[in-house]
Amino acid sequence: MINVLWLRSSLRSRVVVYLLLIAAATFTLLPFVWAILNSVKTSADTFDPGAIIPFVNFHPTLDSWINVLDDPQTENAFVSSVVVSLGTTLFSLILGVPAAYALARFKFPIGTNDIAMWFLSQRVLPPAVVLVPFYLMLVYLRLIDTWTGLIFCYSTFNLAFAVVIMRDIFRDVSTEIEDAAKVEGAKPWQIFWKISLPLSTDGLVVTSVLIFAFTWNEALFAAALTSQQATTFSALVLASRSTRGVDFNVASVNTLIGIIPPVIMYLFVQRYLARGLSFGAVKG
Amino acid sequence: MAAVAVRRREYGSVFKYVLLLPAVIWVILFTFVPLISVIRYSFANYVLGQGITGYVGFANYADVLTSARFWHSIIVTAIYVAVTVPIEVILGFLAAWLVNLGAPWSRGFRTVIGMPLFTLEVAIGYLGVTMFSSQGGMIDSLLGLVGIHIPWMSTPWGGITAAIILDIWRWTSFVFLIALAALSAISSDLYDAAILDAKSHWPVMWRLGVPLAWPVMTIAILLRTIECLKVFAIPFALTTGGPGTSTEVFSAMDYLTTIQFFDFGKGSAMGIAFLVMVAVIITIFFKQMRKALD
Repeated sequence: MINVLWLRSSLRSRVVVYLLLIAAATFTLLPFVWAILNSVKTSADTFDPGAIIPFVNFHPTLDSWINVLDDPQTENAFVSSVVVSLGTTLFSLILGVPAAYALARFKFPIGTNDIAMWFLSQRVLPPAVVLVPFYLMLVYLRLIDTWTGLIFCYSTFNLAFAVVIMRDIFRDVSTEIEDAAKVEGAKPWQIFWKISLPLSTDGLVVTSVLIFAFTWNEALFAAALTSQQATTFSALVLASRSTRGVDFNVASVNTLIGIIPPVIMYLFVQRYLARGLSFGAVKG
Repeated sequence: MAAVAVRRREYGSVFKYVLLLPAVIWVILFTFVPLISVIRYSFANYVLGQGITGYVGFANYADVLTSARFWHSIIVTAIYVAVTVPIEVILGFLAAWLVNLGAPWSRGFRTVIGMPLFTLEVAIGYLGVTMFSSQGGMIDSLLGLVGIHIPWMSTPWGGITAAIILDIWRWTSFVFLIALAALSAISSDLYDAAILDAKSHWPVMWRLGVPLAWPVMTIAILLRTIECLKVFAIPFALTTGGPGTSTEVFSAMDYLTTIQFFDFGKGSAMGIAFLVMVAVIITIFFKQMRKALD
C-alpha cells in the first residue's frame, strides 16, 4: 500500500529514499553474491581478487558443490536439521498454542500478563548455563545424540515464542463468533478447536516458520548434545570450521545449503509475517 | 435467575487450566529443575564418570570470579551487546520506515532486507572468515581499493568488529520485520494530519512514527538484548575466540569449559554468576516492558 507521505514527497526525497533502499539491499545481498561466486570457484581462484565475473575472469566449476553434497555427513546433518526443526515446531505449538489461547481468552488469579512475561522470561536463560543439566538429563534418559533429545531441549526454549506470539494472534480474532457459539451451547473446547484455531491459521503458519528458523539456526546445544547420529547441519558447519580450517568453497556451499529451507519458507509466508511480529501493535 | 448463575460454574473455569497447565509444567520441568541442578553443581566438585564427589562451598565461585578469562568474556559480551543492539534497532527502524512508504518496488526491498533472519548463523560466521580474510577476502579487497587494510582476523579489535558487522547484517532484519509490522499498523489518516505541517520526512518520523511504534520497538529492543547476551554462533564460528581468547564471548567460554574440559562445577558457577548479572539488567528492562506489552 502506498503511504500518503510518499505521494506528497518531492522528487529529491524520493531519490534519497531509493538510494537508501538500494544501499540497504546491496549490504544485505553482498554476502550471498560472495557465497555464490566462491561456491563455483576452484580453491586457487578463491584467493584471486581479480576473479569476479564467472566465465570472464574465471571458469566456474561445481566441484565444491559435488564435494560437499557427496559427503554422506552433509545429507545426514541436513535430514537431522529438518526432522529436529519440524519436531520442535510441532511440539512447541502443541504445548504453546493452548496456553496462548487460555491467556488470550480467560482470566487467571495471577494476571495473564504476568504469566505471559513469565514464559518470555525463560528466554533470558542462556543455553550455555543449562548445558550441564540438559546434558546429564539426556544421558540419564538415554536421549543424548538423538533427535528426540534435541526436540525436547529446543521446545523448552521456543515455547515462549509460541505462547507470546499466538496470544497476540488470538486476541486479534473477533470474539463475536465465539460468543454466538457460546449462546448456542458450544463447549469451550469446541470453540477453541473448531472456531478460534481455524481463524488463526495464518498466525499459526508464521509462528511455525519463526520457530522452525530459530531451531534450524541453533548451534550450541546441537554441538554439545550430539556427536554423530543426530548432528544437525549447524553443528556440522561449526565442526567443519574447526577441522577443515578456512576453506572458502566449503564455507560458501554450506552457507547456501544452510539457508535453503528457512528462506524458502520465509518467501512463502512473508506477507503474513507482520501479523506474527506485531507484538500487540497499536491498531490505528 | 441469580441462584442458577451462582450454581453454574464460570464458563471454561476448568478448561482454561487444562489448556495452560501442560505448558507451565513443561517449563517448570525443563527450566526450573535444570536451573536448580545447575545451582547444586556450582557448589560441587564434579568428576567425570564419578559424578559429584563432594561439596566445595563457594570455591567454584571464587575460582570463576577471580578468573581473568571469565571477566574478559563478560567485557567482550558487554561491548558486543552495547554496540550491536542500538545499531540494529536504529537501522532496522529506518529500513522499515523507508519500506513502509510503499514506493514502487518496496515489496522487493522488504523481501531482501528481511532475508538475513532466515540464514544460518554458524555458516555466516564461517563465511565471514572468508570475507574478512586478508588473502582474497571480499571486504579486504574492497577496502584495499581505497588503500585501507584492516587486520580483521589477526587482532582482537578487528575480530570483534568483524563479528559485530556480521551480527548487524544478520539481526537488523529481525528488528526491521518487527518495526515494519508496527509501522504498517499506523492508519493513513494520522499521516494526513502529520504531513500538513511538515516539509520533510524527518518531523513526520519523529513526531508520528517513533512514538506510535515505540511500544513495539521496546519489545524488539528487549528481545534483541536478551538474545544478544547469549550470543555464540557468529563470533565463535568467525574467530573461535581468537587470537588466543581475546574475542571469546561468555557463551563460548562456558561451552568450552563444560563440554571440552567437562569441568561441570566451574562451568555451572560461571553460568549462575552470568545469569545473575543478566537478570539484573533484564529486570530493569522488564519493569518498563510490562507497560508496553499490554
